[in-house]
Amino acid sequence: MSTESLVKRLPNDIGGTECSEKIQMAEREILPWEKRIHALLEILDFHKIVNTEEKRRGIENLGTEMAGKLSYYERWVVSGANILLQKGILTPDDIAKKTKEVSDRYGIKL
Amino acid sequence: MSTNHNHDHDDHAAITHDELPGYYEILEISLRELLIEKGVITADELRRQIEAMDTRTPAVGAKLVVRAWLDPEFKKRLLADGVAASAEMGVISWDDTAFTVLEDTEDTHHLIVCTLCSCYPRSIIGLPPDWYKSKEYRSRAVREPRAVIAEFGTIIPENIQIIINDSTANQRYMVLPMRPAGTEHFNEEQLEAIVTRDTLIGVTLPRI
Repeated sequence: MSTESLVKRLPNDIGGTECSEKIQMAEREILPWEKRIHALLEILDFHKIVNTEEKRRGIENLGTEMAGKLSYYERWVVSGANILLQKGILTPDDIAKKTKEVSDRYGIKL
Repeated sequence: MSTNHNHDHDDHAAITHDELPGYYEILEISLRELLIEKGVITADELRRQIEAMDTRTPAVGAKLVVRAWLDPEFKKRLLADGVAASAEMGVISWDDTAFTVLEDTEDTHHLIVCTLCSCYPRSIIGLPPDWYKSKEYRSRAVREPRAVIAEFGTIIPENIQIIINDSTANQRYMVLPMRPAGTEHFNEEQLEAIVTRDTLIGVTLPRI
């Protein structure tokens, strides 16, 4: 199979592609953290700090494997973190220290 | 090959917010606290945004549809400029995102999708259902809309053309369904009750 399709279509560009699976109609409640990351990214968009297009670019840049394995909001939070890092609004140190502090708070080893 | 993550998340359905946060929630908490500490955002505006999200339901979309059914002048304004017409109902838009309302007619039915991600008129009708964001819907809706709509239990006859509208970050859509027969004596509340979220996406039709 040629690799052209990987070049011609980003992992998220799936309109019209082969899929024979039925629509899964069962819905679940949005989790609190998912609602919070959704709200956070809306505020960042409102303030033009990280806009919707940039967030989408961040998701497209995750690549096929993460796009396939991360859930919808998991992709949002990772994309958000990456864009904030790329823009220098947060540093890798900021995130490393804070995630350690938060996981210690819950007694979790990251 | 990418897997659809929506049914994998049935496994997570049992996790409540009382349980320990996973990796992604820790990341969310971290980003939020860092941005508040650095003064990039405030805790209060985040709280207000969540509150605003909670109030967004398909109700506004239903109100737009019902008002269009009852008021021909409003319908013209709604079809000409969805953003301006929504503003009449109190929906404030903070950017240039276009919002177009698509009118179903005797020979045309509209369906909306976002093949690239999940673009959806959230400020008008709230959060999209999981299936709208799914691989199955996004790939199949543009290829076999009649079959997809039939999976929702709706048969669109062959003589009716289906137009699939692919949303983007700058362009959101909502369907203006036809008013069903037998609703001539319905009041506004009764009419709004039959204009559900799924009728605004186009996978079903309003029914009495």
